[in-house]
Amino acid sequence: MSMDIEILEDDRHHRYVLNMGPQHPSTHGVLRVLLELEGEYAMNLLPVLGYGHRCHEKIAEYKPVKSFMPNTARMDYLGALIYNHGYAQLLEKATGVEVPERAEYIRVITSELNRIQSHLLWYGAYLLDLGAFTPIMYAFDDREHILDILEDVTGSRLTYCYFRVGGVCKDIDDKFVTSTRAFISRLRSRFPMYEDLVNGNVILQNRLNDVGDLNPHTCARYGITGPLLRGTGVGYDLRRAEPYSIYPKFDFEIPTATKGDCMASFLVRFQEMEQSLRIIEQALDGLPEGPVMAAKVPKKLKIPAGDYNSSVEAPRGELSYYLVSDGSDVPYRLKVRTPSYSNLSVIPEMCQGMLLSDVVSAMGALDLVIPEIDR
Amino acid sequence: MDINKVKKQWQALSTNVEDIDYAVSGHDFNVCLESDKLRDFAALMLEEGFYLVDLMAVHVTPAIEVVYQFAHFETRCRVLARAFVDDKCEIPTISDIYQGANWHEREARDFHGVVFSDHPYLHPIILPEEDVDLKPLLKKEAGLKDVDAVRRKPPEPAPEPKPKVKPEVEPKAKPEAVKSQEQS
Repeated sequence: MSMDIEILEDDRHHRYVLNMGPQHPSTHGVLRVLLELEGEYAMNLLPVLGYGHRCHEKIAEYKPVKSFMPNTARMDYLGALIYNHGYAQLLEKATGVEVPERAEYIRVITSELNRIQSHLLWYGAYLLDLGAFTPIMYAFDDREHILDILEDVTGSRLTYCYFRVGGVCKDIDDKFVTSTRAFISRLRSRFPMYEDLVNGNVILQNRLNDVGDLNPHTCARYGITGPLLRGTGVGYDLRRAEPYSIYPKFDFEIPTATKGDCMASFLVRFQEMEQSLRIIEQALDGLPEGPVMAAKVPKKLKIPAGDYNSSVEAPRGELSYYLVSDGSDVPYRLKVRTPSYSNLSVIPEMCQGMLLSDVVSAMGALDLVIPEIDR
Repeated sequence: MDINKVKKQWQALSTNVEDIDYAVSGHDFNVCLESDKLRDFAALMLEEGFYLVDLMAVHVTPAIEVVYQFAHFETRCRVLARAFVDDKCEIPTISDIYQGANWHEREARDFHGVVFSDHPYLHPIILPEEDVDLKPLLKKEAGLKDVDAVRRKPPEPAPEPKPKVKPEVEPKAKPEAVKSQEQS
């Protein structure tokens, strides 16, 4: 791959191309960015994708719809349960399978734990990119508790496949409830420490304030959703805008900030963790008794001909599954709209003319998960 | 946004605007477009504050269909727009209107070979450069379906119990075969 570089007649300017990635630590996976530099300023950026392409959409066309569930978790390994949720919901919508209420509560509790876990990893890793080594240790310490809780109930620590069409595969027990409650109070008590240690830090302020410039119109042009969009002042969260599952039952806020810079999305993500804790708390309080699987789910799930869409709020923005069915139990076409793909596409415009070190700040603020971009 | 006003503008640009049931399909409107009106439609959508959710191709006969999904930040309004490619597998780009479409169009070029005319940089994005002619998501002749076969059947969406009962009966005939399929 090459870049068309304009040759400048004025010899005071020297432009050269720098490869960032695919093994660069700040790209968090196998993303490669070609940077055309003039001094320390990035004049042109060209992201190169596809290193982690695993043909998920092709695989989907070759097996029964229900068997695709494990694949969903491998796209976004940090938001695996939310990807499970979107896919289970898609099939339930298409076939009319009713989910028991207890299963919906369990889905919400585990999904929100998963969201916090994803935000905590981003928090630590982002600060690590910016040169702060210590916070990742604290963040991983907290994150470990979520992984332990979810491991007990789902059986895995990262690529969960816990949701099924019609419910969840295993009921939660008292141990899950008590350890989740203990985790909520633990994380709450840690937030002031994070704020003292990190959020008010003057170096962080200087690195993030006024870096990256997004506005709602840019977000509409690029299809940017999630915390980045909410950082520009638009309170668009699918849990509220297109209520799914049992989210309408809970009282929670959609944190927003108005500046649209890296600091704005940083604070939005940080505040979202508290809102997720609130949802979990309310869900644990109202957890009903009952079955966790629908009584009658056909083994061979035939999807009536037509197209179906299911959208959920993933940690990084809007996740949509679009299924085209010809009436059989194998999808005719399945398209996964992953938030990071659209969010990353703004990079060439957003980072043009930035200092190289600010490019790292801006890319970290996107909270990239490369396997969901490459699929 | 005044939805009735916008709907009238869609009707002027498209061959068919259809209200669909959000609870079943996940979309509110279905808009069928001729490819020469596509760019006008995209410009209208941006003006009304819609964002581009997704863009993809579906391989059906008589021609590959390109599907655009739009949604709105303020009100719930999910719009599905469809257009067919022409004989040369070409369709106009909307990447100068919705810049986010740029990568989606490159992806559709990778997977289905749809050529988006006037696209600024139609190079492979997900696939490696040497697989430019692979077009992995094109169907083989045996699997290729007519466009009507993948459309929602008009009488079916109304009676709700039907889809629940129907699949239940069929797996009973050969549950063993399904089991082994799932395990593998």
